[in-house]
Amino acid sequence: MLSVVCLLSLFLLRDHPRLLAFQRGATDAVAVTAEIILAPVDGWNRLVQSFQSRAALQDEVFRLQQENRVLKGQTQRLVSLLSENARYKALLNSARDIEDELVAAQITSVSPDPARHMVMLDKGSIDGLREGQPVLGAEGLMGQIVMVGQHNSRAVLITDSAHALPVQVNRSGLRAIAEGSGRIDQLVIRHLAATTDIRVGDLLVTSGLGGRFPHGYPVARVTDVTISPGDAFAVVNAAPSSALDRGRFVLVVVRESADSIQPGSQL
Amino acid sequence: MNKAHARWVIYLTLGFALVWMLLPFSIEWRSLRPDIASLALFYWVLALPHRVGITTAFAVGIAQDLIEGAPLGLSSLGLMLATLLLLLSYQRIRQYDLLQQSLVVLVLLLLSAGIEQWLRNGVNVPVMPLEALVGLLCSTMCWIPVRAILRQSRRYYEVY
Repeated sequence: MLSVVCLLSLFLLRDHPRLLAFQRGATDAVAVTAEIILAPVDGWNRLVQSFQSRAALQDEVFRLQQENRVLKGQTQRLVSLLSENARYKALLNSARDIEDELVAAQITSVSPDPARHMVMLDKGSIDGLREGQPVLGAEGLMGQIVMVGQHNSRAVLITDSAHALPVQVNRSGLRAIAEGSGRIDQLVIRHLAATTDIRVGDLLVTSGLGGRFPHGYPVARVTDVTISPGDAFAVVNAAPSSALDRGRFVLVVVRESADSIQPGSQL
Repeated sequence: MNKAHARWVIYLTLGFALVWMLLPFSIEWRSLRPDIASLALFYWVLALPHRVGITTAFAVGIAQDLIEGAPLGLSSLGLMLATLLLLLSYQRIRQYDLLQQSLVVLVLLLLSAGIEQWLRNGVNVPVMPLEALVGLLCSTMCWIPVRAILRQSRRYYEVY
C-alpha cells in the first residue's frame, strides 16, 4: 500500500500544490534544524573572530579601502558607459534593460545528496525570492532558485547535471547551451559544429534567451576544445567563473517584473 | 512517556541518524558520508521487528527526501523493500556473526540504492556518481559501531 503511495507521489502527484507546499515548509524546518546543530561551531567562530588581533583588522580595513577606491573608479566609467549604452539603445529603438535588483544571501548548507549540486540559502519568500530567480557569485552566475520556503530557499548550481542554461560567447556572439556535468568545476557545451569559432579562453556570458537569466552575466571560461576529424560536433568544456564550492555570500537577482517569468519544469 | 516500552528511544535515535545528514561535508567528499539513518533503521527492524517495520521505513525515506530536497518517495521504496527482506529473515540474520551481518547490510544497502537509482532515472533526477558505491562500503563499515551503540541504548532504556 505504502509503496503505491511512493510511486504515486513520485510519478503522478509530483507537482501537486499540497505536496509542494509541504516540501517548501520542510525547507524551513531543515534549515532551522541545521542552524541549531551548527550553533556551537558558529559561536566558536564568532568568538575566534572577536579575538582577532588589532593589526590584522587594520590590515583588512586598509585592503578594503584600497579595493573600494579601485571599485569606485571603475563605477565612474561604468555610469558613463551605461548612459551611453542607453542612448544607443534609444537610437536603435530597442527595449531598455530592466535594472536588476539584488538581494544578498548566505549559503547555509550543501545538499547531502552526492548526485546533486544544491545549496540552501538563508533568504526566502519574505525577502522577495521566487522560484527561477538567478543566483550570482562575486565573479559570475552560480545557479538558480528551485524551492522557496518562507525564510530559506534551495538553489541548484549551474554544474548540477540536471541543469542547462543558454550562453553566448562574448568574443563572437555565438549562442550555445552550457550543461552541468555533475562535477563542480566543469560545464559541457554540446552540439557545437566542429567548424564553429570557439577557442580556449573564451568567456561565456548568459545570452538572455529563454527569459530565465538576464543577459550579460559571466558564466564560464572555455578550458578545452577537442575537435576530432570524423565527429560532427566539437567537445567543448568550460570552467565556471565563480568558485562554486568556495565562499558563502551570493546575490539573488530579484526583478520587479518577476511574475513575467514563466515557471519552468521543476528540477 | 511510556516507560514500559520506551519507544521514544527508537525515534530519538532515528532522528539523530537523520540529523547526521545535515552536518556539513565538503562537496567532494560528501558521497563518502555513511548512511547512518538506514543502518539505524535496519538495526531496529532486526532487534524489534514487532515495533519497527515498513511504515517506519517509509517515514525515514520521506524524511531523507525532505532533507535532500528530492521528490518525495525517492528513497522510501528501496528502504521499504530492504525492511521487508529483513522482516522475512530477521531470525536467521540475528544468528550471524558481525562480519556476516555486515555483508547482509551491504547487500541491503546495494538493493535500496539500486531501486533509488532506477527511480531517479524514472523521474529525471541525476543518478548517483560511481563514488557513491564507496559510500556504501563506508556505511557497511559503520554497521558494527552503530549496532553496538544502538544495542547499548536498547538495553539501557529497556526498549522492547
